[in-house]
Amino acid sequence: MDKKLMDMPNFRPNKTPVKKTVGEIVYHVIGIVLSLIFVLPILYMLATSTKGEVAYAESIGTINMFLPDFASSAVAFENYKSVLLDYDIWKYALNSFIYAAVVIVLNILINGLAGYAMAKLTFPGKRLLSFMIIFLIVVPVETSIIPLYSIVKVMLGLKQQMTVIGVILPAAISIFNIFLFMQFFQNIPKEYEEAARMDGASTLGVFFKVIMPLSKPILATVAVFCFIGVWNDYLWPAMILPSADDGSWPLLPIQTALITIKSIESITTGEIMASLVITSIPIFVIYVAAQKYIVQGFGTSGLKM
Amino acid sequence: MITSTIIIFILFLLAFGGFVAYDLATAKRRKEVYRVKSSATAYLMLLPSVALAFLFILLPILYSLGYAFTDYYLLEPNKINFTFLDNFKDLFREIAEKGMLYNAIKNTATFVIGVVPLQIMLALLLALFVNRPGFGSKIFKVCFFAPVVISLSITAFLWEQILASGEGGLLNSMLSVFGIPPHDWLRDPKTAMPCIILLSAWQGCGYQMLIFLSGLSNIRNDLYEAASLDGANRWHKFWLVTWPGLRSTFVYILITVFIGACRILTQPMLMTGYMSHTVTLSYYMYNSGYTERLVGESSAVALLMTIFIGGITLIQRRAFREK
Amino acid sequence: MKRFLTSIIALMLILVMSLGMVACNGGGEVGNEDLPTDSEGNTIVKIMFHVDKSSTEGQAYQKRINAFNAEYKDKGIKAQAIFKARSAGASGYETELQNNKLDGTLADIITFDAPNTAAYANSGLLYDISELIPKEDQDKFFSLNMYDGKLYGLPIQESSAGFFYNKKIFRAASIDVSGFTAENPWTFAQFKDVCARLEAHGVTAVDMRIDATKDETAPYLLYPFIYAAGGTFVSEDGYTADGYYNSAATAKGFQFIKDLIKEGYTSYSIGATDFFTGKVGMYLSSGWTIPDLDNKYRESFASRDDWGLLPYPKDVNAASATGSWSYAITNNHHADKTAIVELLKWMTSAESSRAITDATGMIPARKDAVKDYAVGSPEYTLLKQLELSGEERPVTVAYPTFSITFNQVIFGLNNSEVSDLLNRATTTLQDAIDKIKDRQ
Repeated sequence: MDKKLMDMPNFRPNKTPVKKTVGEIVYHVIGIVLSLIFVLPILYMLATSTKGEVAYAESIGTINMFLPDFASSAVAFENYKSVLLDYDIWKYALNSFIYAAVVIVLNILINGLAGYAMAKLTFPGKRLLSFMIIFLIVVPVETSIIPLYSIVKVMLGLKQQMTVIGVILPAAISIFNIFLFMQFFQNIPKEYEEAARMDGASTLGVFFKVIMPLSKPILATVAVFCFIGVWNDYLWPAMILPSADDGSWPLLPIQTALITIKSIESITTGEIMASLVITSIPIFVIYVAAQKYIVQGFGTSGLKM
Repeated sequence: MITSTIIIFILFLLAFGGFVAYDLATAKRRKEVYRVKSSATAYLMLLPSVALAFLFILLPILYSLGYAFTDYYLLEPNKINFTFLDNFKDLFREIAEKGMLYNAIKNTATFVIGVVPLQIMLALLLALFVNRPGFGSKIFKVCFFAPVVISLSITAFLWEQILASGEGGLLNSMLSVFGIPPHDWLRDPKTAMPCIILLSAWQGCGYQMLIFLSGLSNIRNDLYEAASLDGANRWHKFWLVTWPGLRSTFVYILITVFIGACRILTQPMLMTGYMSHTVTLSYYMYNSGYTERLVGESSAVALLMTIFIGGITLIQRRAFREK
Repeated sequence: MKRFLTSIIALMLILVMSLGMVACNGGGEVGNEDLPTDSEGNTIVKIMFHVDKSSTEGQAYQKRINAFNAEYKDKGIKAQAIFKARSAGASGYETELQNNKLDGTLADIITFDAPNTAAYANSGLLYDISELIPKEDQDKFFSLNMYDGKLYGLPIQESSAGFFYNKKIFRAASIDVSGFTAENPWTFAQFKDVCARLEAHGVTAVDMRIDATKDETAPYLLYPFIYAAGGTFVSEDGYTADGYYNSAATAKGFQFIKDLIKEGYTSYSIGATDFFTGKVGMYLSSGWTIPDLDNKYRESFASRDDWGLLPYPKDVNAASATGSWSYAITNNHHADKTAIVELLKWMTSAESSRAITDATGMIPARKDAVKDYAVGSPEYTLLKQLELSGEERPVTVAYPTFSITFNQVIFGLNNSEVSDLLNRATTTLQDAIDKIKDRQ
């Protein structure tokens, strides 16, 4: 719009910058107000993590909920120190990173291959599988955790340390990611593959050498959502992983440990919030770093249901 | 369990075999050919995902839907009796008597009708708002997405403090400046659901904003330029270029937001507890399965929900499918 | 569309067939087996706790287990503790129990929340220990986990609740409550009178946690009012709610709470920490608030001169809240229970009882483990009250449903008639009881 106005020959150019600046200011003011509404929970988390119990109790219901307590920086330091050192948060965080790394690799391999077969190859029975993909995206799964438990513990017989497999394998398959890969691969022009095939590449060769390098946005998207999924999951790991009874390295991921820490009698709200802040940092950093790719990933896949 | 799994697996193979045979037959009629080698590669590539999906997704779903016809009681997993349609009779009686399930259906419908348009509209507005170059818009984009990555339990707790009744609530104390008396937002049946709708839309729209943004990035710039040459204003451009360009993105968002909305559970659970004015279908399911331990009944609700959501989704797909 | 229909039919077929599978899938209990032994020939007894190992309570359990193992080394019994924090979600601990039962790995002793006694015993999860624990040992406990006339569990610790009050506010309003003790509780009328005077002094009278209707808090704290008014919730055998939950006496108990709301003495809008910051006169809570007042809120309550504890008010009866977690021997396939009973006796001994309550701040379950508290101290009030008027929550297989309906009644008190609320609650609870009863 603005550009067009400037291009018009009879337009007085000296007025444009003023109008534009006003527009910019209005835009940014609106943006800042909106942003504030959306970062409220973060402000609240950060502010509360600096407070002692009484300061927190007094701040409830006032605007102070969102403002840090500058008067007692020592409290803030204590909160973070006790969370990091007394409760071994870093051990659980490391676990979560390891689980996430394994899940991301498996997820991309397994679902990527499936998505490729669904998008680019023809084979009898394809229709049933594409119907199943939509069906499984749609079905509510809230109650299936009870039979899933039986499958992992009774049928596969995973016990003790082996239950780690029970955390990783179910997370390695995601129908939604197959769907994403499928949509993305469908939009890759045939010419790329055909060129590679002329050079004598096998189907797998095409997948790894041609398709994968072209699919960075969708890989990043899937990786980010895998990471967020593993990082935020707590109910399932809590159900199947053994808790560390004998002082060995704990197997629990971070969110499960957080829930346990929250239940410790002596913990203060400030400490709980400090632990939440610490656990939110990786997600936020990864999201900000990968945001560009996510937009690309969704964009190129077209997302046709 | 193992025998039943094997039998389900064989049935699955049979169903798959049936489809393969059907496809081969139609291909023959249409004189198309499936190459053996390419099909074999495809099967091999699909094998890991199909195996895992069968074991960890399909099987649990089939089991839990199968429990709908049994009297599975959480504490007696060794004693499951087949009760045919008893669970469904109980459910329909509860609906007829306007019990909790009736409220659950009513509230879920209210929520879906409220949140789907609101969340999609918010997401679209935010996407249009940040879809421009510049440092500011980049920061805004990150901010708008923030609630999506923060755990629901924190946001629910925060909103509980904001909406708290009496003068202790942040919203009430802000309203009192304008002389508006305090209101019990989450306890009043008239305001509880709207509050939950608002905060759910607020929490979730950042994600859809991102998807709309990727839809916007796909619209070619020359279309806008062409529209400009035709003298279109901002409003016209939106309806002539942007909106048609976002069509498939919109259908995708509509379907996923709808499915997500039908499953709403955490917000009412954390903010009001199991009360008739905010109970939802998923919450009813969770409560009867885990709290009251009646897994059979809970699975019956799950089965009805699956049929319902699946049906509506198919209607949506048909209605909005590109011609 | 046709193809689509075929896929639907195929899926339905799979589904229906799988149902048959599920239905025929029930297996019986595994036959009797001996307890497992370790490489040194010690008999292993497994015990499962509902708390995390790193919590103070968990550490106290571990210490007692270690002491047991040292003591019983010569007798060839070794206890092994499993910690499964119940905080991992309401369903986590119970799902663990049912699945352990399914795959035959159920621990020999488990901990469980007292209101679950009926449901667990009824489903065959717990073992009847009436014969295994001598009568004179049973008498040493304040309460026992009985169902259907049989003993199914021994409490780990006891709990009781009461009205914490802000002495500074009471002094300023010159209200004297020193006459109200556990031995001589105040009446409903006296309670209302104190509320009125606090209100006249300009503070909210009492936080009764009527807003805490999302979990067990409100039922646990408020059910004694109904018993005090002479009401009940279910019949003696626990299978009939109609005529009990909706009886006139029960309605009277709820009406008392409703009146308090109507008069403005209490409300749903009291902030969770308002009592601790000195905005409310009284606060209904359990013993676990004592350490909070002693340590966390020093700014408002410098010492015990600033706060005190009052018992539950009485009407036709005196009644107070009880019930905590208990130990039970499970009904797994281990036939020989002697080693298991040894461990159970050890964990419920006076020494263990004291060690665990020292860590949790709760009341010991055994009368002989109780320390001598100064007469009039908050701990003394709770203990005396427990001894004189403690009454457990209703014993019914559908306890979770009871808890939900109780919450719904409290939630609705402000806007609905008590009788309507109780009729609805009765129907819901009776339905749930019948569903479980019909399975047998």
